[in-house]
Amino acid sequence: MKHLYIKIFIALLVIVSCSKDSDEDYGQNSSQSNVQTTTNSSSGSTTGTTTGTSTGTTTGTSTGTTTGTTTDSSSSQGDTFDRGSILANYSENIIIPRYNTFKSSMDILKNSIETFVNSPNSDNYDALQTDWIDSYKKWQYVEVFNISKAEEIMYGLKMNTYPVSKERTDNNIDEGKTDLTNPNDWSAQGFPGLDYMLHGIGETKDAVIELYSSESKYGNYLLTLGSVMNENTIQVVDDWTTYKDVFNSSVDNTATSAFNMMVNDFVYYFEKGLRTNKIGIPAGRFSSTPLPDKIEAYYYSKNSFGNLSKTLALESRKGVEELFLGLNSDGVEGPSYKSYLDYLETEIGNSVKTKLEEATLSLNDLQDNFLTQIAENNTLMLVAFDALQTIVVNLKTDMLSNFNIAVDYTDADGD
Amino acid sequence: MNISKYLNKKQDSSSLAIFRLGFGFLMLYSTIRIWYKGWIRELYIDPSFHFSYYGFEWVKPIGDYTYLIFLLCAISSFFVAIGYKYRISIILLFLSFTYAELMDKTTYLNHYYLVSLISFLMIFFPANAKFSIDNLISKKSYEFIPKWNVDAIKLMICIVYFYAGIAKINSDWLIDAQPLKIWLTSKYDLPIFGGTLFQMDWVHVFFSWAGMFYDLLIAFILLYRRTRPFGFFLVITFHIMTAILFPAIGMFPYIMITSSIIFLEPQTHKKILDRVSSIFRKYFQKVSSISNYNFKKAKFSQTILVIFFSIQLLFPFRYFLYPGELFWNEQGYRFSWRVMLIEKKGFTEFKIVDGETSESFYVLNEEFLTEFQERQMSFQPDFILEYAHYLGDYYNNNGYNNVEVYAESYVTLNGRESKVFVDPNIDLMKEERGFSNKEWITELEDEIKGF
Repeated sequence: MKHLYIKIFIALLVIVSCSKDSDEDYGQNSSQSNVQTTTNSSSGSTTGTTTGTSTGTTTGTSTGTTTGTTTDSSSSQGDTFDRGSILANYSENIIIPRYNTFKSSMDILKNSIETFVNSPNSDNYDALQTDWIDSYKKWQYVEVFNISKAEEIMYGLKMNTYPVSKERTDNNIDEGKTDLTNPNDWSAQGFPGLDYMLHGIGETKDAVIELYSSESKYGNYLLTLGSVMNENTIQVVDDWTTYKDVFNSSVDNTATSAFNMMVNDFVYYFEKGLRTNKIGIPAGRFSSTPLPDKIEAYYYSKNSFGNLSKTLALESRKGVEELFLGLNSDGVEGPSYKSYLDYLETEIGNSVKTKLEEATLSLNDLQDNFLTQIAENNTLMLVAFDALQTIVVNLKTDMLSNFNIAVDYTDADGD
Repeated sequence: MNISKYLNKKQDSSSLAIFRLGFGFLMLYSTIRIWYKGWIRELYIDPSFHFSYYGFEWVKPIGDYTYLIFLLCAISSFFVAIGYKYRISIILLFLSFTYAELMDKTTYLNHYYLVSLISFLMIFFPANAKFSIDNLISKKSYEFIPKWNVDAIKLMICIVYFYAGIAKINSDWLIDAQPLKIWLTSKYDLPIFGGTLFQMDWVHVFFSWAGMFYDLLIAFILLYRRTRPFGFFLVITFHIMTAILFPAIGMFPYIMITSSIIFLEPQTHKKILDRVSSIFRKYFQKVSSISNYNFKKAKFSQTILVIFFSIQLLFPFRYFLYPGELFWNEQGYRFSWRVMLIEKKGFTEFKIVDGETSESFYVLNEEFLTEFQERQMSFQPDFILEYAHYLGDYYNNNGYNNVEVYAESYVTLNGRESKVFVDPNIDLMKEERGFSNKEWITELEDEIKGF
């Protein structure tokens, strides 16, 4: 008898010790810990115009259907919530359409760069500037998807690290640099890089055009920026044709599942990408004096070409709302973090939804020109910051707690 | 029963030898595991700041040499397992492991504490009396050791379980089934049960009550001979289940399962050991077997153990000395066998104010802490205070004067909506670290009944 249960014991020990460690491989830990900031200025139009019409390029099957269940399970008894439906809704109705829209605008932007460099005149400049604004606004919806290829190639950091490094960019222009993979070059490319190339190398439109006409090094670097951005975008967007199925089915509660990584990306982007970078840092929340030169699309405002920072912040807010509520291109709510929170019988989902609307009001109270807003009445910037901050608190404490998202690669016994 | 009579009782030395083998090899595996996963660098070498236990600020990682601490730990574990220079090996295991544990309290785990306590106890017992390399060297082995040695280890395990059970007697755990409601619901990806049973309210309540009764009763079930096989079955089932449900608890289930071997009958220990040692029989031919181990300095060891267990029995109740809700302010929470008991998450930022110019700004935690440290800091008051002082000192030394530090902190406990955790008007630089009541923590404003 005794031998029997000793044998069973040893057998069980072996089974368990083989089964358990698989969930906690320790992996890419803090690939997201760099400060990423990106902005852009468009002539101060108030809200974004780029809601999700997916220009039907390759993969974009925006099948407005919200697969699966259900936001209305008021009791957790018996029926189970299908997390796969959240991922399917996100990938089919938000991520892929948004990426396709962005990719099209990126193609157009690259073309207008080439046109401008070939004949640097006023009309071509205006067309390029318009396309830069349009594309920068569409970027605000996709920066949050830091997963798969985007995470692997540091797509977000390459597209929108700001403030742009003037010194590094000037250097690259002089050297005629074409390989921009070095992390030090992240702050010399992407949308902030274009901002500098269009609004920073000269203080007026004529001065800028004159530089492109007289010296080819400017045109060469502008072409490099356009093609690097375009190549990276193609890589990331094309990856989704194959990644989509992996994404939709990766619903485990493990540190490496798509569901958990997407939650973390969302919270991270809301806190850093939106709250900290677009408002907090320029408003001086994290420094003893305001740092207006750290706004998104700085040169556009600084040299009085126009203003875009506020527009980009509003677009970004709209993007996180779209994701949180699972809005399809018609603006209809689908399976989402919000519906999942509802299923878990907490009021947090509704609370965040309301606060997201309130944040729009605070952002709308700001002037189009963040530079003058900060100089004249920085308090309003801090009010807008607080409106976003209160959402960050709900996301990082209540939402993550209710989802019980596994983020730890290390052991922890729950205290 | 008369005490001196009890102290003279003998038990087969196989019991301790088996336990020594299990404990030693498990510790060797644990250490290799920590090393292999890259945690030594990630947790102890890379971070620029470390959270210290009050009074142990001098225990710090030592740069790349930190690997040597874990190497020492691994080697001494192995020597303990094989019983080579046992006494010095177990002392080194206790010291190196405890040092590693004290380096940064971000990594606090109840079972690390248990390992320290068990290795401390083992210093006093002749676990090398049988089937050890020391036997080969001295050419002597011993058939019997004092029974109270084995009982002390059993008592330690009993305390762990029983106190873990008491801690679960509270209204959050038993009535609201929190935090198991949150935890089990999130295990939707487990096969068969994940999407079905684990989503049901009654299952959460059932698991909560079952967990409490298991912890309260398992020690007694293991102690009585008749119920022991059933108890052993329960131990294995329960801990395997926790290992599957909560992979993040790491080695805890295996340590508890291995430790419970001590409860088997001495004859069973002997049978197992005879079976194992038969492979090595030829090496032990020249070892002469002596009946009783001559326990030196028994009085001294017994005195230490009496003090040790008195502390163990009382220490977990120190939270009675503090006002407020224990789960909220965590004053007296650690080192008390509160394992997997609460679900807490926080968000905490700090405002630095120059006392002379009134300039102020908030700190980006990522500039000082790792993600793991920030998460742990955000809901634990002693972390918040220690980090606030670190920030204050840092800015005092970097161009600011009479720095004041204020916390903006929100915490959620067991599914309650997050609320302000630290009084935002208190300058934390003026608050001393230590064991006095932290009045700057807000009230939970909700009553959790029970222990």
